[in-house]
Amino acid sequence: MSNLAVLTEGLTRRFGELTAVDHLDLEVEEGRVVSLLGPNGAGKTTVVRMLATLLQPTGGRALVCGHDVVTDADAVRQRISLTGQFAALEANLTARENLVLMARLRGYGRRSAAAVVDGLIDRFEIGEFAGKLVKGLSGGQRRRVDLAASMVVRPQLLALDEPTTGLDPRSRQAVWSTVRDLVDEGVTVLLTTQYLEEADALADRVVMIDHGRAVASGTPSELKTRIGDQRVDVVAVDSAGFEDVLAALAPRFSVSVSRERRTVSVEAPDELADLAAVSAALRASGVVVDEVALRRPTLDDAFLALTGQPTGAALQEVAP
Amino acid sequence: MSTLATTLPVRPSATRRYLRETGLLVARGLRMIPRVPTRLSDVTIQPVLFTLLFLYVFGSAIHIHGIRYQDYLLPGLLGQSLAFGVLGAGTATVTDFTSGVVDRFKSLPVTRLSVISAQVIGQVLEQLLGLAIVTGLGLALGWHPTAGVGGAFALLGLVLLGLTAFTWFGVLLGMVVHDSDAMQGLGFAIVLPLSFLAGTFVPIKGMALVPRVIGEWDPLSAIVAAVRLVAQGVRSQGSPELDHPVIAMVGWCLLIIAVCVPLALRRFRTAISSN
Repeated sequence: MSNLAVLTEGLTRRFGELTAVDHLDLEVEEGRVVSLLGPNGAGKTTVVRMLATLLQPTGGRALVCGHDVVTDADAVRQRISLTGQFAALEANLTARENLVLMARLRGYGRRSAAAVVDGLIDRFEIGEFAGKLVKGLSGGQRRRVDLAASMVVRPQLLALDEPTTGLDPRSRQAVWSTVRDLVDEGVTVLLTTQYLEEADALADRVVMIDHGRAVASGTPSELKTRIGDQRVDVVAVDSAGFEDVLAALAPRFSVSVSRERRTVSVEAPDELADLAAVSAALRASGVVVDEVALRRPTLDDAFLALTGQPTGAALQEVAP
Repeated sequence: MSTLATTLPVRPSATRRYLRETGLLVARGLRMIPRVPTRLSDVTIQPVLFTLLFLYVFGSAIHIHGIRYQDYLLPGLLGQSLAFGVLGAGTATVTDFTSGVVDRFKSLPVTRLSVISAQVIGQVLEQLLGLAIVTGLGLALGWHPTAGVGGAFALLGLVLLGLTAFTWFGVLLGMVVHDSDAMQGLGFAIVLPLSFLAGTFVPIKGMALVPRVIGEWDPLSAIVAAVRLVAQGVRSQGSPELDHPVIAMVGWCLLIIAVCVPLALRRFRTAISSN
C-alpha cells in the first residue's frame, strides 16, 4: 500500500446523467509507467483531474502516495504534477517567465528560482525559445515548456494527460524521449492516451478504459497478443462491391467486416504473405476494390478484440 | 538529475505564503499589460473617447447653469469609469477561468485565496491607471477641480473603495457568466444605460419622468454625485442619495462588497472543487 503512487477504489464521477468514471479500481506502483488507454470521452481526463484534486469524485476514493485526494488535498497537490491536455501556460508570458513564476509559486526565492529554471531550460532543451512568448511557440515547444513546468519540483507522481495529442510525429518522438528520461530517473508516470502506439512505447502496464470503466489491463505485449496481429483491410468501391469482396474472401480467410466503412478485414499473421494471398484471391474473382492495405490493429480493433464491442458503442445509450 | 530539485523549499507560514503568492500573481498580471494592449483598451481608449466626444461634440450644445462643462463632465466620467470596472474585472475573470491557467494554479500548492485576491488587486490597479489617464486628459483640456489636498485624498479614498466594490462585483459576474461575449453584452445592456442615467453627462433633474426617477435611485448616481461634490464642490439634489452622495456612495459600496465578496469566494471554491 505504501509503495502505490495511485490507488483508487470504486472511483466514480457523475456529471448529471452521465457517468464519466464508473467504479474504477486502479493501482499504479511507484516507479512505473501506467497508461490509461481509451477513446475520446472514455473518462481518462476525468480520472486524472480527480487525482490532481481539480475535480471531486462523486463516489469511491482515490489515494495519491497514500494521501486522500478529498480529505488531504493539499498533501496530494505537493506530490502530483499535472501536464494537461491543453498546456496551461500563460500565453502572454515568455517560456522562461512562465517557468520562473511556477518556481516562485512553488516557494523558491528569486535567485534559486532562476537557477532551477536555468537547469530546466537546459534539461528540456528550451534555450532556443526561452525568451519567446508562449503564444508564439509551436505545439511541440509548448508541450516541452509544459513538461518542464511540471518538473519545477520533482513530483512523486507525474500525470500526463494526452501529452502528444495534436503533435507531429517528430515532436511526439521528442516528448516520448523526454518522458523515458524522466522514467529512467525513477519518476512515476500516469499517462493517458488514445494512441495504442504511445501506450506501447512508454507504458509498463496499460489499462484500457471505456465509458469510465476498466475493460482490460496488462502489459503492452500481453494486450497485443490478445488483440491479434496485423490485418489486411480491403475497402470496396460501393455496397454492391462490398458483397462481392466479402464473397471472394470469406470462404478462404478469417475475416471481420465493417459495413459502414465498406471494409473487409483479413487477419494477417504472416503479413506480406497474407497480403499477397488476399490480392491473389481478389484478382482471381475479378472484383474491383478501392483500397487494399496491410495495417496494424487500431484502438478500435483493440477494443473490438478485448471487449467484443467497438469503442463508443454503449455511449450512445448512456448519453442524455 | 542534478538539475532537478528533489526537495521542496521550506514552507513559510500560511499568511506569509498568501501574501507572497498574491504578490507574485499580481506581478504576473502587471507584466502582461504591455503585451496585451487590447485588454487595456477598456480602461484607456474608451474613457478617452467618451471625454473627447462629450466635451467637444455634445458639450458644444450642453449648457449647465453655473458651471463650465469641463468641470461638470470630468467628475462624472470618473464616476462612470469606476462603474465600467465591472466589465474589465468580469472579462479578465472569464479569460483566466476559461484559459486553463487557473487549473494550473489549482493543482499547485497555492493558497486558493491568493488566486482571487490577485485577480481583484490587479484589476483595481488597471482601473486606477485608466482613471489617472482620464484625470490627466481632463486637466489638460481645462478641467479645474476645486478640491484641495484633503479633498484629493478623500477622492482617492472614495475611488479605491468604489473600485474595490465594482471589481468584486465584476469577478463574481465573470464566474457566473463564464463567457466573455455575454460579459460584454451584459455590460452594455446594464452598465452603459445606468451610467448615462446617473447624471454623468447632464443633470438628472432636467430628465423626463421615467429616466429621472431611475436616475434618482441609480447607485451610480450616488457615485457620480459624490465624486462631483468632493472634486468640484457641486451639489446634486432630488433624492436622499443625491442629497447625501458621499454617505450613499460609501453605503452602496459597502453593501456591494458585503454581498459580492462572500458569494464570489463561495463561487470560486465551487469552481475549484467541481467545475
